[in-house]
Amino acid sequence: MLFSSPPWESAVYWSLDLETGGLDARRDAILAVGMLPVREGHLRLGEAYRTLVRPEQGKAVSPRSVQAHQLVAGDTRGAPALAEVLPELERRLRGAVLLVHHAPIELGFLKRAFRAAGLRWPAPPVVDTVKLLLRLDARERRRFPELPADPPVLNLSAARRRLGLPDYQAHDALTDAVATAELFLVLREALGARRLRELT
Amino acid sequence: MAAAALDPVSYLRATPPFHALPQPLFDAAAASLEVGYYPAGSRLARVGGEPLAHLYVIRKGAVRLERDGQLLQVLEEGETFGYTSLITRKATIDVVVEDDLLAYRLPDAEFQRLLGDAQFASHFAVGLAERLKSSLEHSAITTFQADLSRQVGDLVRRTPVWIAADATVGDAARLMRAEGVSSVLLRADPPAIATDHDFRNRVLAEGLGPDTPLARIATSPLRTTPATAPIHEAWGLALDARVHHLPVTRGGDIVGVLTSGELLRASAQGPMAVLRGVERVSTRESLAGYGRRVAEMAGALLAGGLDAAAIAGFVARLNDALVHRILRFAEADLGEPPAPYAWLALGSEGRREQTLLTDQDNALVYADEGEARRAWYEVLAERVNADLELAGFPACPGGYMARRWVGPMAEWRGRFDGWLDAPGPQALLEAAIFFDYRRVAGRLDLAPLDAVIATAVDRPVLLRFLARAALGFRPPASLLLRLRGGSTTVDLKLQGIAAVVAVARCYGLELRTEARGTLERLEAARDAGILDGDAVAAAAEGFRFLNGLRLRLQLRAVAEGRPPSNEAALAALSAMERSRLKDALRAVKTLQDRAAFHFKTDF
Repeated sequence: MLFSSPPWESAVYWSLDLETGGLDARRDAILAVGMLPVREGHLRLGEAYRTLVRPEQGKAVSPRSVQAHQLVAGDTRGAPALAEVLPELERRLRGAVLLVHHAPIELGFLKRAFRAAGLRWPAPPVVDTVKLLLRLDARERRRFPELPADPPVLNLSAARRRLGLPDYQAHDALTDAVATAELFLVLREALGARRLRELT
Repeated sequence: MAAAALDPVSYLRATPPFHALPQPLFDAAAASLEVGYYPAGSRLARVGGEPLAHLYVIRKGAVRLERDGQLLQVLEEGETFGYTSLITRKATIDVVVEDDLLAYRLPDAEFQRLLGDAQFASHFAVGLAERLKSSLEHSAITTFQADLSRQVGDLVRRTPVWIAADATVGDAARLMRAEGVSSVLLRADPPAIATDHDFRNRVLAEGLGPDTPLARIATSPLRTTPATAPIHEAWGLALDARVHHLPVTRGGDIVGVLTSGELLRASAQGPMAVLRGVERVSTRESLAGYGRRVAEMAGALLAGGLDAAAIAGFVARLNDALVHRILRFAEADLGEPPAPYAWLALGSEGRREQTLLTDQDNALVYADEGEARRAWYEVLAERVNADLELAGFPACPGGYMARRWVGPMAEWRGRFDGWLDAPGPQALLEAAIFFDYRRVAGRLDLAPLDAVIATAVDRPVLLRFLARAALGFRPPASLLLRLRGGSTTVDLKLQGIAAVVAVARCYGLELRTEARGTLERLEAARDAGILDGDAVAAAAEGFRFLNGLRLRLQLRAVAEGRPPSNEAALAALSAMERSRLKDALRAVKTLQDRAAFHFKTDF
């Protein structure tokens, strides 16, 4: 098994971010999807996919979430329904790796949405940049035990800044997907990971 | 929500020459945009290897363009590279990531399409001409294109940050954090400066708190540089003052503060870089490699258009800083000196005319009261000699090193007197080396030694002997300088440089000038009316040329892994250089003729 994992850059990673009406996958709506692929270690902006999603009946959009994503009902009214969007996701994720910042939330929403639409969740390998950040933090602690034990920086923008990446405007699904993919490239390098297995 | 442009796309749009592209053309290109991350040290292209297949725009980080290990250019945020590859289909430059690089890139095909836009294409045509020129030069050394005559004012990026005279250290720290700067100017009379270093060394390390008045730890008066000064002069200033922040003035106002980092950016291999290297030498084990860094710096400066004399000035300052460092290590181990001493540099190092690291020539003299503890000084000398060897200064084969030449002032005076009284061949040789001494470190007053040297003029026999020795260095007759047959090589040192040095020393001794530099000594002789201006001008010009040529050939040898020598093969020189070499040697001969007459060497 040890050598069966492919070199990291041979895999295709789809970096994905959702804008949602809240953090509860059972109750809240998916409002926007942004995703783009990382092929041979490079983000391909031209293949980016982004769409707004018309909220399903009975799903909530909390006022706090609106502050964050700035999407109001008027924006999403004419957008395609989730049922039309999910096959686009499925097609892209097939045979690829899903790349997200803080996987539990996104995975919760996606799995639930696929099930509700009667689609099979493609179950791609998942790379979570939050997990990679924690791994990097643990490694630095081992190497420099004398440093003060600040809690690790896990917020996407803050983590990017800490690792020397430029500030991007947050909370647009595709921009966050781009931001996550760049963060992934830096973390992959910092961790010295050579194979996909070391990243999932 | 309108789909806003992605950050990388809007960044590209704001970056010249993309800002001027028609929208449809830009949109088509942006659809192929990629983002890549390349850690520091990655080599994106290698001369003669695979050419780059993309045009890169730097979003974060920096890239070095190099050829044969020589720095051509450092590119930073907003700058583009890859186009020489895309246009010439060849890799003519090494592209190395200097700081972790986040880059946006366009594939070759998109770039070629954009070249259809005349304005876009013209932007690259200019850069291309410059880069091709610099990358196709035959000599590695001459390819360094950083314009060292640029003014420091050009480097200033922002106005200085000021704070009121009654501010506290805490106020200053908060302001500096908010402004993202590493120094702050105190609006006092005279103005003062406080830096990150001061907060560490003068506040925290001293156990002071944030309520400490800033004025108490700030430095004044300021060391400033006029905005019109060339960058290399600002380097010199920062090196001499050992400061990392240099306020820049224009018309009496401070228009900005340059950090050593910014000066460093102007040339990644400049003296500031090496100085920082010296300062980072925290243990004796890390001395190794110093010599190589100095050679790299000298190469960059030479190619940047500085003459060998100016470069030698930088090298001397750096070597001095290194000796200070080494002495600090030694004193930390050995304890306080029992009595004041002086560390002397001799020979070319004393004259500040050394460019590459050559053999050590040094000596140690201490106050007579220290004689009871002679062993302390002997151990010190041994330590410093050993550390300098570690740093890349070979031991002197003739043995003119402090480990042997150490003693109290009385002993040294006697020795100097002896050379003057009995100028035998060995005494002449030693006098020539020791009379060019320069104090590098230590507090001992050397006036007694200067007083002995000043008596040389009262002993015409000595000067006559020294002048005769100076005539012993024989430049070849220019008729014999041929590409084939005759003399096909010239020893630039023995047949040229050394003759000028030796003649100039005689004039310097006669005039009792304290100047040690060869050119200064010749100028003093001209000013005193004992040497005609034409001969001085020609000899000075020749001396500069010979030193520059020697340095260039030595650097090439180092770059090619050969030991540097003083030999110049005529076949390896251009026609112009051969002709200048002949002029230079003729000027040396003329200078010797004048000295023969003046010092009556035939009697």
